[in-house]
Amino acid sequence: MTTQIVGILFDGLAFGMLLFVLSVGLSVTLGLMNFINLAHGSFAMIGGYVTLTLMREGGWPFLATLPAAFVITALISVAFERTLFRRLYRSTALNQVLLTIGLVFVSAAIAAYFYGTVQQPIQVPDYLRGSHEIAGVSFATYRLFLLVVALFLVALLIGGLEYTRFGARIRAAVDDQRMARGLGIDVDSVFAVTFALGSGLAGLGGALAIEIVGLDPSFGFHYLVFMLIVVAVGGLGSVGGSFAAAALLGIFDVAGKYYVPALGSFLIYIVLIVLLFVRPRGLFGKR
Amino acid sequence: MADPLLSLKNVQAGYGESIVLDGISLDIEEDGSLSVLGRNGVGKSTLLLTIMGFTNVSAGTVTWRGKDITGWLPHKRARAGIGWVSQERDIFPSLTVEENLTVAASPGRWDLKAVYDLFPRLAERRTNMGNHLSGGEQQMLTIARTLMTNPAILLLDEPLEGLAPIVVEELTAAIERMNDQEKMALVLVEQHASVALALTEQALVIERGAAAWAGASGDLVKDQALIDRYIGLNLTGQAKAG
Ligand SMILES: Nc1ncnc2c1ncn2[C@@H]1O[C@H](COP(=O)(O)OP(=O)(O)O)[C@@H](O)[C@H]1O
Ligand SMILES: [Mg+2]
Repeated sequence: MTTQIVGILFDGLAFGMLLFVLSVGLSVTLGLMNFINLAHGSFAMIGGYVTLTLMREGGWPFLATLPAAFVITALISVAFERTLFRRLYRSTALNQVLLTIGLVFVSAAIAAYFYGTVQQPIQVPDYLRGSHEIAGVSFATYRLFLLVVALFLVALLIGGLEYTRFGARIRAAVDDQRMARGLGIDVDSVFAVTFALGSGLAGLGGALAIEIVGLDPSFGFHYLVFMLIVVAVGGLGSVGGSFAAAALLGIFDVAGKYYVPALGSFLIYIVLIVLLFVRPRGLFGKR
Repeated sequence: MADPLLSLKNVQAGYGESIVLDGISLDIEEDGSLSVLGRNGVGKSTLLLTIMGFTNVSAGTVTWRGKDITGWLPHKRARAGIGWVSQERDIFPSLTVEENLTVAASPGRWDLKAVYDLFPRLAERRTNMGNHLSGGEQQMLTIARTLMTNPAILLLDEPLEGLAPIVVEELTAAIERMNDQEKMALVLVEQHASVALALTEQALVIERGAAAWAGASGDLVKDQALIDRYIGLNLTGQAKAG
């Protein structure tokens, strides 16, 4: 019984960590730049296909494809930011939603054209497969790996945002764009870099997700819901909040599907509604 | 003759379609100082915003050390040495006092040690968040923050507004030192004519977006009738709230 609970908690937490990597960039762009980028899930999908392609066509080892998924997704996102998104920074939320949801459809169609509509599996290396047994509970190695990656990213992001000068510039630009510019901060570049990092993380998340949830052209839609829940519950622009929200969401999702299969994936929506009633700005939201 | 540090020629500027400044010209030398006076809403802040590149310039030119910078973005002007302290005292609330100071700093004479020497109260508050300061401390912080960019000119927008007399004295001394000893050029927007005129060599009086009077500060001080007409009766030198 206890081992079962621990097992479910662990699986849920690992899924939550995946959601964290997928979502934290959206929280940052939405919270810091006030730009509603519903195509964030499509950037994640791009990362997934980068890893898939490099492994299949290039024979790259899985771990080596992860930085590539990050970098290539970040670069593609910058191209979009410079050409399309930037024009809508001062526009209405509706315009931003319409543009980015359009991009989700387009990217899904492009992915279906090149890769087909079926799930694309990958072979993760042996050392990430199997499981470790600790105190009678078996922990899947890949899920342990996810946990480590996510914890590392949390430390990196919080450290980067709170303790570096670039992090201070991001916060300054968010607090008061005009003053930041007036002091010589190139706010547009700061936002472009921030956006690229956030999208790159989505790409990394997409690559990490293949082993757990698979990869097909609907990825951008399917995980958008999870991402938005993480952002709403975690509070805009909060790294720690996203982490906590993603962990909760992962655990409730896995536990819900296991214990109350009749409710299935609905449980998370109930949790979301209750949470937002109690704390409308999310767990850690400031705004 | 060397080019002036900053020069505006027949500048017409405003926000969107509306024109606020109409035909403003001025020259400031490397260690020059200029008071910009006038009633509320005549366009004093708009003049500083125009120098920083935040307004729409529809005619005329802004030159910096002989270079036409009329089309430059604000951050580029700031990096070129134009230091602006806004009337709103926009502190970055999610940064500590020290982060506010270092976030846009560039190397030079003014570093943390120098600004803490100038305003010791900021040193005491270095780990406070930017928004947990008194009005006077906020104004010290915004001035210090701009000094940390090591500008060649300081544009101050009503720095004494609403501050207690003792703080006004402290700030006035700091501003005077900046211009006299540090040879930093100064544009001082003020409602309080006597304080501003005592600190500067030149004065510009604005009335509805245009120059109503320009000349030596010493001459304007003597012309009570002119001051009454364009600026009002703020000659007591007391910085009143609001
Ligand atoms: N951001 C803005 N958008 C439109 N009009 C503005 C803006 N800021 C100021 N104005 C207008 O420009 C005029 C001059 O304002 P301002 O330069 O702030 O005056 P002052 O600093 O001399 O009190 C006023 O009529 C004001 O309403
Ligand atoms: Mg003003």
